[in-house]
Amino acid sequence: MQLMIAEDEVLLREGLARFFEDAGHEVVASHGDAQNLAARVTAHRPDLLVVDVRMPPTFTDEGARAARTVKAEHPEIGVLVLSHHVETQYAIDLVRLGGFGYLLKDRVLDVAEFIDAAQRVAAGGSALDPRVVETLVSPGGCDGHLADLSEREREVLELVAEGLTNAAIGRKLFLSERTVEAHVRHVLMKLDLPQDEDAHRRVLAVLAHLEAIRR
Amino acid sequence: MLAQIVRDPHLRLLYWLPGSQIHVDANGRECESAAVDGPVCTQIIRAGVPLGAVLHGSADARTTTRLSKAAEAAAMAIEIVALRVELRRQLAQVEAARAGVAAAAGAERHRIERDLHDGAQQRLISVGLTLRHAQHCFGSTSREASELLNDAVAQLAVALHELRELTHGVRPAHLDAGLGPALKELGARCPLPIETSAERERLPADVEAAAYFIASEGVTNAVKHARASRVLVNAAHTNGTLTLSVRDDGVGGASPSRGSGLRGLLDRIEGHGGTMHLESPRSRGTLLVAELPCN
Repeated sequence: MQLMIAEDEVLLREGLARFFEDAGHEVVASHGDAQNLAARVTAHRPDLLVVDVRMPPTFTDEGARAARTVKAEHPEIGVLVLSHHVETQYAIDLVRLGGFGYLLKDRVLDVAEFIDAAQRVAAGGSALDPRVVETLVSPGGCDGHLADLSEREREVLELVAEGLTNAAIGRKLFLSERTVEAHVRHVLMKLDLPQDEDAHRRVLAVLAHLEAIRR
Repeated sequence: MLAQIVRDPHLRLLYWLPGSQIHVDANGRECESAAVDGPVCTQIIRAGVPLGAVLHGSADARTTTRLSKAAEAAAMAIEIVALRVELRRQLAQVEAARAGVAAAAGAERHRIERDLHDGAQQRLISVGLTLRHAQHCFGSTSREASELLNDAVAQLAVALHELRELTHGVRPAHLDAGLGPALKELGARCPLPIETSAERERLPADVEAAAYFIASEGVTNAVKHARASRVLVNAAHTNGTLTLSVRDDGVGGASPSRGSGLRGLLDRIEGHGGTMHLESPRSRGTLLVAELPCN
């Protein structure tokens, strides 16, 4: 996988580049700001853009806005947004667009999960930080149909919301892919959601459901 | 009354505010000095000190004389009203200043803690990445080294988690979505059966944060001291005031004089210009109500 990194903090930028290289990927360019990010992406054509939400000059949402611009001009390029805090609504809105990942920065210390999420996004899928999913699933305890799910089914639901494929869910929970498929079928049925093989549409459906019961 | 004396229903009485050096009506609204100088204006002066003015229609000398005399007789009453109006205006100014300071202080505090968190977070993550790199370089040659490095990263992860919790204690991330979701998340962490309700409408950030912490403290008290079996938290906004209530069915007997928790809560509420109301009869549960202004 070829990637581009946009991160203003020097040590972090270099650390991220080394991290991906250690995992066998190629960092074609790295930048300290979000200026002309779309043009730079056009020049280098990476598979994935990793960008910090907050960058100079104002450190509010330059990175986030640049991420959307890049996606609009290059829908085939995966964009992974790194954030400092859980911004639930923002994260959901972004991931819904498809081909976006939203992860908290410290997720990078979970090497396997982080790389997996990056590859998923580069391939056109989604990645939503588990902590964001947690804020959706836990508030108020057992809301609506979630109460009908078994512990295992709830785990599967969370991983579906994070954007994992059935195979990845199986690896994570030490289950066979077929078992995972069965669980996903049950979960979608209990929540009254359409059965769908497409990972992104599943994510959308699940997120919509979780959001609806959150209100 | 003055209007009746001179039979002028359009007569207006203005008060002179010595502090602000302006004329105002009984509602405290300032009146332009141009208006004060016409149509017909009779100044009310007592012992050389201006008290107010009467605006009236007729300019004839008899009316004017009558008015002056009547006004002088009522001078003390006029002065009292003037002073009251002045006081009200000054209190309103102080209140506006306080609200401004509280909001600015809240925003500033929020900004500082975000910066502190983010700076520390970045540093810890960078260290973690360096350790992962070391693991990559040396992990294959020494299993022991790999394990040690893994442990070190695990410790960092704990530190990052604690850092997040610390910031959460100052201002929880859930508040970004509003008081409703934040209260729901509070409810989810409560070991007792609890119901929370809040309107969807967003309020000023410092008010939402204050309400959240008041609710958090109220719930903690219910859990720790009240031996309650149920807790109800409600936030309602009417007429520029947020009313936050926490009710439990426990043993009652709570009082700010009894412990520092409620005292601190009272200070926090009053610091926001709000009021606190506590009902906690023995064996009849506790009701805590905080009213916070939302301007």
